[in-house]
Amino acid sequence: MKLIQLTVNGRRYDLPVDDDELLLDVLRDKIGAYSVREGCGVGACGACTVLVGGISVSSCLARAVRYDGAELTTADGLPEDDAVVTAFVESRAMQCGYCIPGFVLMAHELLAENPQPDREQIVAHLEGNICRCGTYQEICRAVEVAAERRERA
Amino acid sequence: MTQTTPEPGVDTGVGSRRSRVGAAGKVRGQLRHVADRPHGGCAHVAVHRSTRPHARITSVDVSEAAALDGVEAVVTGAALYKVLGDRMFTGPAFSDQPPLAVDRVRYVGEPVVAVLARDVATAREAAELVYVEYEDLEPIYDVADALAERAFVHDALRPSVVFGDLRHLSGKTETNIAYEYNLKLGDPESAATQGTSVGFEFWAPPVHHVAIELPATIGWVDADRLELYSTTQTPSYVRQSVADMLGLPLSHVRIRVAPLGGSFGAKMYDRLEPLIAALAWLYRREVRMVASREEAFLLTTRHGAGVISSMSADADGNLTSATADVRYDTGAYADVGPRITAKSGMIAAGPYKIPNVAIRSRCIYTNKPSAGPFRGFGVPQVTWSHETLIDELARARGEDPAAFRRRNLLREGDESYMGTVMHSADFVGCLDAVTEAIGWDTPLDRGSGRWRRGRGVAVGIKAVLTPTVANAVLQLNQDGSATLMISTVDMGQGSDTIMPQIVAEVLSMDAERIRVVAVDTDVTPYDTITAGSRSTYHTGNAVRGVAERMRERLLDLAAKRAGGSSKDLKLTADGVLNTASGEVYRVSELIHEHFGARGATMTEEFNYTTSWQPYDKETGRSAKATEHWFAGAVAVQLLVDRWTGRARVEHLAVAGDVGRAINPALVEQQLAGSAIMGLGHALFDELVFDQGQMLNGTLLDYQLPSVKDLPGKLTPIIIESPHASGPFGAKGVGETGIIPIAPAVANAVRDAVGVRITRLPLSPERVLQAMDEAGVEK
Ligand code: FES
Ligand code: FES
Repeated sequence: MKLIQLTVNGRRYDLPVDDDELLLDVLRDKIGAYSVREGCGVGACGACTVLVGGISVSSCLARAVRYDGAELTTADGLPEDDAVVTAFVESRAMQCGYCIPGFVLMAHELLAENPQPDREQIVAHLEGNICRCGTYQEICRAVEVAAERRERA
Repeated sequence: MTQTTPEPGVDTGVGSRRSRVGAAGKVRGQLRHVADRPHGGCAHVAVHRSTRPHARITSVDVSEAAALDGVEAVVTGAALYKVLGDRMFTGPAFSDQPPLAVDRVRYVGEPVVAVLARDVATAREAAELVYVEYEDLEPIYDVADALAERAFVHDALRPSVVFGDLRHLSGKTETNIAYEYNLKLGDPESAATQGTSVGFEFWAPPVHHVAIELPATIGWVDADRLELYSTTQTPSYVRQSVADMLGLPLSHVRIRVAPLGGSFGAKMYDRLEPLIAALAWLYRREVRMVASREEAFLLTTRHGAGVISSMSADADGNLTSATADVRYDTGAYADVGPRITAKSGMIAAGPYKIPNVAIRSRCIYTNKPSAGPFRGFGVPQVTWSHETLIDELARARGEDPAAFRRRNLLREGDESYMGTVMHSADFVGCLDAVTEAIGWDTPLDRGSGRWRRGRGVAVGIKAVLTPTVANAVLQLNQDGSATLMISTVDMGQGSDTIMPQIVAEVLSMDAERIRVVAVDTDVTPYDTITAGSRSTYHTGNAVRGVAERMRERLLDLAAKRAGGSSKDLKLTADGVLNTASGEVYRVSELIHEHFGARGATMTEEFNYTTSWQPYDKETGRSAKATEHWFAGAVAVQLLVDRWTGRARVEHLAVAGDVGRAINPALVEQQLAGSAIMGLGHALFDELVFDQGQMLNGTLLDYQLPSVKDLPGKLTPIIIESPHASGPFGAKGVGETGIIPIAPAVANAVRDAVGVRITRLPLSPERVLQAMDEAGVEK
């Protein structure tokens, strides 16, 4: 057991964690961050994505102890008027919705490094996330809409 | 968010593109799923699994597991059998599957022993410490082994009590055939001797649903009742199944469901529920199991299926005969395989006018994980056969494959070879729409260098599950809002969005003011299942019926108020309008006045049940095998890389006849989404087994369509030929799109590089090999 400190969506938590405890389980079971989800447990679906200092991490592969002091963002912690969230809603980029928070965070990461991505760059960045409902067309569109919005803003 | 509440009754009714209920919550991940239930203090379950495909259990040693710190209990199948006896064998068609193996294991990965522990890690560790000794039995790896009948997966067949038509199979021994369906019309053999004939042997491999949300079941005992919170498409079925297993009245079993993170057939009938129910009941303890992805792969699969088939046409290009011998590999437990075998076998010759047909369709046990329902219910596997045959037959005749199909397709009012008449199934309209969308009749640039371009088309037919039962309860609240109680599970198809649209249409309401209650068998009424694309039609009809009753009720209240007859009264968005006096009685006032209470509620219910006519014992035909049909078509233009064998889809158009689209935006998403899933089945999806062992049951090894597999252009097309008894003419659409995808792709590959492949998927290696064998230059 080790005491670590995580800042999740701006709020600070002091958490006792086991050495081999996964960041995914800590976020869900100890903080109730249920927008972070397990889909595969092997880093192959993106449902468990979180941003650590703006960089995407598969929390199903991450040991929590290594993130002592880190600042994390999850999809449910994004601001009310978040451009990416709004663009996803308006573009109807969801069916069951299970995978979508992961895509939203990947889109954030992409737009932070590349504010005007073309379709190919969007596809390359989202390739590791799986939407089994097959909402890819709407998801790509949502990222384009978000990019346009952010530029105008 | 820019969305504002629309004008009441104006644009949220039938035909509106209203946005999905809870859209923003879904995007932010605030929608709660079953596994999100907090679990402090409950016992976590892990299972020890069989390492043998077929063996007798000779001894089980649980002492080390039980001694591990944090383990509460270790339970064997034999121990469960002592308490539950034969009731522990469950299943929708055959009662053949135990939650834990008793005496004998039938596939690699079958649960043998369950562990209850304080956390998941401890439970899984303990499960590893269980030692089982086996005496191997002869394994049956595939359908060929099974039909050789040297060994048998089950000693005797055990049809469940639910289905009267399976009773004659009870106790049958020395067979691996769980069920056989035969259809006979005319004399296909002599018909095939004239004109042109083609015949092939087809294979569609087992594949997996991989809904991204993992299956999860949590169970506990509340006083003398068992409650389950579970990821299931079939809450009403699970309630009955668990009640039967534990010997409880239905009133003492409660099943609750949260919206599912996808399912596609994976989360239905008996999955984790029997085991969790038994453990919760025996230990009076809250127990919880969330399957790992590897475990989810073992819970169910899609039937691998072989089809040996042929098709013939006369000199005028009219189909004269068709034959199909269909073999569904159902794995170790029948699940709903017998239903798939008949319902999908009966249309194995496609949506065509054919005077002479012979079909034999068999559901066959093997020592593999059980196969069950998967979007399409066994139809994609037979469509793979008939849409390849008809394409090749057109080519053999030197005719355009679309034109050849068009001539032979069933039309409104035609009686199909299986005996049922076509209505609201516009195959020709679907075919025309998709071919036009991709420019079928425009000249094709055949490509250059390593790339070759081709076009392909395919049509699909599927019957809706019949007979089934749907119920709806509608509660109108005094403030004019409404609460709808149905047991349809929203798993992404959008039932929570469209059912209020039906109510809104009938009651001239704003759908935003109608809330669908989360499924809870204590509250929401019986509904057969959320599957087989049946809900829009069946539950939609129950919802329309209950809304109409509510309208009558409101008009009665208004008539009282108006002091007499209801003949001048009309329900509008503002309330009940008295067209004679011009007065408007607001709904909130009518209810308030009637009950004399604010916050009062007014409730109505409605049942919608469909019937069928069982298959004729001699011919397999039925004048009403189904309540209605699904019709769809797909056209594809693609490039094949002759050096790598890889296909790149440039344009895919998918059309479905939905009768009437309740919400066109959601229909388009279903069509596009099933097209993408279908592309995986066409090009790479495949569960690989070696000696009964699943080799690629993790997402590191199992390939799924990602955003890079999106076709250059994807065009979903809605065709509407209203169904006479559908709610506002509507039918479902969940499966329509996926059915013809694989053959459309293969037909385009055939067009591009000239090779006919009859085994799925069309992996690059397989395409290259076929080109090598055919001597196609690279
Ligand atoms: S659960 Fe982490 S990538 Fe799939
Ligand atoms: S919306 Fe269902 S998995 Fe993406």
